[in-house]
Amino acid sequence: MTLFNSFNISASGLTANRLRMDVVSANIANAETTRARMVDGEWTPYRRKTVELTQSGVSPFEQKLQTMMGNGNKGISGVSVSRIKEDNGPLTLNYDPSHPDADDNGYVQLPNVDPIKEMVDLMSATRSYEANVTALNASKSMFMKALEIGK
Amino acid sequence: MNLISPTIQSLEQALSTSALKQQTHTANIANVDTPGYKSKQVDFETALKNAAGKQALTSYKTDSKHISFSNESFDPRVTVNENSVHKINGNNVDMDVEMAELAKNQLHYNAVTDRISGKFRSLSSVISGGR
Repeated sequence: MTLFNSFNISASGLTANRLRMDVVSANIANAETTRARMVDGEWTPYRRKTVELTQSGVSPFEQKLQTMMGNGNKGISGVSVSRIKEDNGPLTLNYDPSHPDADDNGYVQLPNVDPIKEMVDLMSATRSYEANVTALNASKSMFMKALEIGK
Repeated sequence: MNLISPTIQSLEQALSTSALKQQTHTANIANVDTPGYKSKQVDFETALKNAAGKQALTSYKTDSKHISFSNESFDPRVTVNENSVHKINGNNVDMDVEMAELAKNQLHYNAVTDRISGKFRSLSSVISGGR
């Protein structure tokens, strides 16, 4: 339905950005975690996680097809998180012989979490969230106005 | 005789176009971080021109009992802005433009609802004989 679709679209943006914030929080919380997963009987450090966003509902093919058929309106949809990806970038090596997970040479592998990147991501997610709230409020006040027709 | 003036129908079409516009802007804002997303917009002017063209199309009547064409449904098109790149990930949503358009659309919607209310008020004034 046309009227309430814009609410759903804004809500999908809110959900996606909240998840982004959750992932950023998890990355920051685990910035020093050396024992995240057991691989072949050995502990491996935590790996930075990132969120992959896609337009929800429509595949690129369907979108193109609908546009070509003149039903361009069908391409309007919100956003969804398609998956949470692991960053396979190199882990940082730190010299700390007293660390319980240090190797024979005294080096310890730490997660590839960069706090600066995480903060930038957090800011971006916060701003997008706010933008979606603004859009939602705009839609709400518009439709409240529509309810007053004829009064 | 036309008790309910056709203006109300036109205003109604303006409202639904405005609602569709609202939808495209919210979708653009929701997808501001989606890689490869291309911004969409409602081509209001073309839609208006089409609607005006349709109204000029009158039925040919050979008998007074023939029914005239109903107002053809108003069909605003959503166009995709494929040609510009705004960010490195192929997304071309310009947040400032979207926010400005959102505010503009909101005011436009309010103006149209106000006018519909005005139309209804004058109608009820006529019904009550000006009292």
